[in-house]
Amino acid sequence: MTWLNSHPLTFLVFAPTLLGLLLLTLPQTLGKLTRLLGFLGALAIFVLSLAWLLGRAPGAPLAEHAPWFTLVGLPVDYSLAVDGLNFWLVILTTFLVPLTMLGTWNSLKDRIGTFAAMFLLLETGMLGALVAQDLFLFYLFWEGMLIPMYFMIGVWGGDERRYAANKFFLYTLSGSLLWLVALLFLAGKAGSFAPAIMAASASTLPFGVQCWLFLAFAVAFAIKVPLFPLHTWLPDAHVQAPTAGSVILAGVLLKLGGYGFIRFAIPMFPQAAMHFAKPLALLSVIAIIYGALVAMVQRDMKKLVAYSSVSHMGFVMLGLASFTVIGTQGAMLQMLNHGISTGALFLLVGMIYDRAHTRMIADFGGVATKMPIFTTFFIIVTLSSIGLPLTNGFVGEFQILNGTFLSGFAWGRAYAVIATLGVVLGAVYMLWMVKRVFWGPVNPDEDSGTQHLHSDLNAREIAVMLPLVVLILWMGIHPSTFQAVSEAPVATLLKDANAPAIRPLVLPSAPLPVPVEAAVEGHAPASAEVHP
Amino acid sequence: MTITPTQWAAILPLLFPALGACLIPLMSLDRDQAAAKWIRGAMYLTALLAVAAGFWYLTDLWTTGAQPSFHQLHMDRLAQFSGIFILVAAAMTILQGWDHFHQEGWVKGETLSLLLFSVTGMMLFTATSNFVTLFLGLELFSLPLYALVATVRPRPETAEGGMKYFLTGAVASSCFLMGGVLLYGFSGTFDLKTAATLLQAQGLGADPLVLAGAALLLFGFLFKVSAAPFHQWTPDAYEASPHPVAGFMSVATKGAAFIALLRIFPVSLGAVRGLEAHVQSALAILAVLTLVVGNLTALVQTNVKRMLAYSSISHAGYLMLAFVAGTPAAFSGLLFYLVIYLAMNMGAFGLLTAFGLVGGHTTFEDLRGLGWKRPAMGFCAAVFMLSLAGIPPLGGFYGKYMIFKELVGTGHVGLAILGVLASLVSVYYYLHVLVALFLQAPSAEAERLASDRPAVHAPFAGATVLVAAAIVLAGGFTQAFLVQGFAQRALQEGLGLFR
Repeated sequence: MTWLNSHPLTFLVFAPTLLGLLLLTLPQTLGKLTRLLGFLGALAIFVLSLAWLLGRAPGAPLAEHAPWFTLVGLPVDYSLAVDGLNFWLVILTTFLVPLTMLGTWNSLKDRIGTFAAMFLLLETGMLGALVAQDLFLFYLFWEGMLIPMYFMIGVWGGDERRYAANKFFLYTLSGSLLWLVALLFLAGKAGSFAPAIMAASASTLPFGVQCWLFLAFAVAFAIKVPLFPLHTWLPDAHVQAPTAGSVILAGVLLKLGGYGFIRFAIPMFPQAAMHFAKPLALLSVIAIIYGALVAMVQRDMKKLVAYSSVSHMGFVMLGLASFTVIGTQGAMLQMLNHGISTGALFLLVGMIYDRAHTRMIADFGGVATKMPIFTTFFIIVTLSSIGLPLTNGFVGEFQILNGTFLSGFAWGRAYAVIATLGVVLGAVYMLWMVKRVFWGPVNPDEDSGTQHLHSDLNAREIAVMLPLVVLILWMGIHPSTFQAVSEAPVATLLKDANAPAIRPLVLPSAPLPVPVEAAVEGHAPASAEVHP
Repeated sequence: MTITPTQWAAILPLLFPALGACLIPLMSLDRDQAAAKWIRGAMYLTALLAVAAGFWYLTDLWTTGAQPSFHQLHMDRLAQFSGIFILVAAAMTILQGWDHFHQEGWVKGETLSLLLFSVTGMMLFTATSNFVTLFLGLELFSLPLYALVATVRPRPETAEGGMKYFLTGAVASSCFLMGGVLLYGFSGTFDLKTAATLLQAQGLGADPLVLAGAALLLFGFLFKVSAAPFHQWTPDAYEASPHPVAGFMSVATKGAAFIALLRIFPVSLGAVRGLEAHVQSALAILAVLTLVVGNLTALVQTNVKRMLAYSSISHAGYLMLAFVAGTPAAFSGLLFYLVIYLAMNMGAFGLLTAFGLVGGHTTFEDLRGLGWKRPAMGFCAAVFMLSLAGIPPLGGFYGKYMIFKELVGTGHVGLAILGVLASLVSVYYYLHVLVALFLQAPSAEAERLASDRPAVHAPFAGATVLVAAAIVLAGGFTQAFLVQGFAQRALQEGLGLFR
């Protein structure tokens, strides 16, 4: 137990792998037992992570540090830490894994034991990448993550699974291999893989070199986000992946891209990041609008949700590019929101697909009369995805738009206005889909999906959806539970970036005299930035 | 002539396999069926014992730290390292060969004898900087390999592959000889280290004929490592040869040639000023060509053995990049890479034997669905392919990591970018193997044929595959120990690098 007390993060990261490898050795005939063991293990890891992370004094960092090896003159440290930036993402990961396993309990028929093992191996990759504080270690987890995901899509996916799996693997790898060269270049200059030392070394390099290095980092992370125009792997991967794969892909893997920006790319190259703020914001706005427009014309519900991911992750990137505390905080929250809401949407689409064996919008109609409980959950999640006040989506998007609007960049206001259109478009594609699938008369076609819906959600599925709905409301009503911890690190991060001061909106004095606020110096706390 | 104990210590590691190679033909007389079975067993046992004795002797030398020499044969740390490397490859080849030749139905004694002669030649090749001894080693390991490629005579394509390998190999050998003769003509000595000092002293470093001599020597090496544009023999020879022999050629030939190249060019001939830069730029250009040709051609292969041949060409490209960086750390990366490469490639070729694929039945189609049928082998296949592709945290990643790090550190960022792009391309064809093994169900035709065929029984090949997978996995977590404990010591105490 003393070992566990001093190495909680090591245990959290590697326990899934140990369990997963154990499950791999069990024969295929024991698939059901294997799946149960995998679920119980993942649940235990979630409970432990809650106990260890939430049970600590708030703000107390949890870290492990030891030298690992030195190769070609570069020391690599085994350095793990949980702080304000990754605290909730770690919990989101440990939470979504058992939840997804439970939610897709009967979705797969073949090799269910191996699937559970792959899922656990993936959990190690995700948790490791989230808590790694050494860039080499981060790289190992970042790449290692691809292997189980590749098999999850390729073995258990849809008809085009081989193409989608290969595309996912190669696309993601292409960014990270170029990033590796940048990493080696900078590590060679700095003599270390510790982000702080590398950042100090980077600041001494010529600005042009810094820009190239930042671009290498940014492309690797932007592919994962995915940022327009590097998003093309996402629809294929999402649609072909089994439900569990889609949930975890949307819920955690995409987050790692945004997390990479916050954790590494922006703090290490603050000047270069500022230099590229406008292009990043522009691509984010394009992603928001483009993702929403493409989502609108989809016929497949899963593909619609996949494109909505592009749009939602565009908000995350916009928040980061605004370089304001409130915008970045909003981006952090939006990452959690997206993990919960889109994860829930994929689960719901998976549930209806398991019953009807189709995901085409046109095959449904009048589902509300057949599956009232399912419809209730779906509507709640839809509203959260749209960003209705009192749900989580509203808080994140509002903060991001607010931050962008107030940011000191000349483009801030215009981009905020355009991005707001994305929220409207979000309501259009989601509600239109809901209208066609759930409302109206029951689809009269005998072969239609609606005719195959014979049962509403069972207890297991309700048990999966309830915690998600609770979280959606909790995050919408009391977001500071999830934002308090990242406030200080985000503020420090932006101080280093030396972002332009925010520009409060000054309304013209005529015709009504409006009291003009004094320009806020530097970065006020988030609450002060909310314009009345 | 009396031989002192230290001199014996230098030649004994070579004498064990040579002795085994001489004993085995005595046993391979045709007898009646009942006796033949026992004789075969005895032959394989003799071969294994010969390899094990050499291995045991070398590890003993390594632990004592002695570096004995016998005239021009210097059994220094690097030679001991390469000797152990070659003997491990040979042991895996013999074990896989037992299974494979039974599957092929063509068990002949001379195969083992030829293999052991080749092993002796390779050990000689990597343990000298004297040109004549070097050439002796080159021929001693090449000639048996020409014969080994064409060993399964009932298959018509083996003769073609063997002949192609022999003819091109003969040209390479004669060029190698010509290069050595040119250097000898200017310096008057066969010892390349002395020759380099003399050439430098006479100011002949930039003489066109000296450069031509060095270029011809280099050509000999590059042919053996199958670098483009001297790679054409590789796919045909691999396809023609039995799986274990193809594995042995891809690993041991490449390893021995790279280690000898390391001993000759940057070290022995390093004294000739200006030559190093020429060699580096030539290697840089050829490495780029090798990476491009190897990887792009591998993409379109339908036969796993040809794919692995082009993959081994592309790996030669990565290894050549270590010479372009030219730092001691890059060379220790090269040695580490070779060790992991030994495990990956012997494992990959061993898988073909373990899956019971004989003759020309080695297309991707033949692999379909086998990963699920044989989960342990499938797991190992995933380890080998992902490691060949350089995906962390497997051993293959660290070899590339060290070489690319040194490339970037010496200012060759462009080459490093090309290198990572090449390995991105390579991921596609390595994944192709995994696609066939795991992502595709076997065709109905194959299912029907498989039910007719007897169950595959390849215990030794399976064991070597498991061992190889363990090495690849361990390489990903004990990289620093392996590099510092073995690669760096071999370079430091054998060649005097890292000083």
